[in-house]
Amino acid sequence: VLHATRPLHTSQQRLAPLPPLPEKGGEVRHGLIPEEFFQFLYPKTGVTGPYMLGTGLLLYFLSKEIYVVNHETVAAICILSVIIYGVKKFGADVAAFADKLNEEKVSNAVAVKNAAIKDLETAIEEEKKEQWRLEGRTYLFDAKRNNIAMLLETNYRERLMTVYNEVKKRLDYQVAMQNLKRQKEQDHMIQWVEKSVVQSITPQQQKESIAKCILDLKALSRSAQAAV
Amino acid sequence: MAGRKAALKAIDWAAFAERVPPNQRAMFNALKTRSDALSARMAALPEKPPTIDWAHYKATVAKAGMVDEFQKKFSALKVPEPVDTQSAKIDAQEQEAAKSTAEYVQASKARIAQYEQQLQKLRSMIPFEQMTYEDLAEAFPETKLDKEKYPFWPHKPIADL
Repeated sequence: VLHATRPLHTSQQRLAPLPPLPEKGGEVRHGLIPEEFFQFLYPKTGVTGPYMLGTGLLLYFLSKEIYVVNHETVAAICILSVIIYGVKKFGADVAAFADKLNEEKVSNAVAVKNAAIKDLETAIEEEKKEQWRLEGRTYLFDAKRNNIAMLLETNYRERLMTVYNEVKKRLDYQVAMQNLKRQKEQDHMIQWVEKSVVQSITPQQQKESIAKCILDLKALSRSAQAAV
Repeated sequence: MAGRKAALKAIDWAAFAERVPPNQRAMFNALKTRSDALSARMAALPEKPPTIDWAHYKATVAKAGMVDEFQKKFSALKVPEPVDTQSAKIDAQEQEAAKSTAEYVQASKARIAQYEQQLQKLRSMIPFEQMTYEDLAEAFPETKLDKEKYPFWPHKPIADL
């Protein structure tokens, strides 16, 4: 009889986690009589004690007709034998099947829990990685400043080069102009000298020079023949 | 930035590249190509322009004072250094980045603490074989049955069974 005024498990102070239910029930012999009974009688009557008691009680009930044998006895015998046969033959399989169902439920829950744990761990890893990434922001700004410095430097150098090139161009222009003028003067003079010389060759001089050339050629041809 | 010859800081592009998240890789590549182009341009130009051979020109050019005048003006010429307008902006950007980084790191740490807490709870849970339905509702509050809203069994809309 449970005391109604003593509720159980309402406060937070309780044995947590609940101690697990025992795996197997208490030991029984012949499916009915608990083992403790046999242990209880063992010191006084040994191993056969409870059996003797049982047989004696049974014979007493039968002989004194405290238990009357009638049609229901036969029915009971048949039904009980069928039941016992069924349980003995199929009991283990049915138990295994039920256990499997339970096992599946539990394993689903466990899988969900493991997946959740893994997700959380990867999330933590990702966060740490992002923090590590952020530490590299100095690189970015260094690169930018480098770029600026390079731009300025390049610009300055370009300016210097421009100055140099311009001055050089002008000086070279002057030199080139001088050279060109000189060249032109030379050419003109040469041409003029040639023209005046050609003009001054009178026809008389031309005839004389042609005759001399022919004489020279003849002398040359003679000496050339001798050489051959 | 002390003057023109400020030493360029050597950037470890490999380490930089490691820290770039995948969604910003394109920007990083653009920056790198720009940097490389700039440094190539800079390397192509000589640091000092070649000196003009004044003696040669003095000997060759006929005009009297021209070479001397050029020389005088040339040595007196000062090429102005280009003015740096962007460094201040970069520094401002850096400050901003530092601030937002600090914020993000803080938020990230809070998130990590949350995750750690959850992880702790999950790890220290009792095994399912020893749980009752009440214990399950405690560990996973989303499975708790709302006995006020649905006072009759099964304490949840039939469609959810």
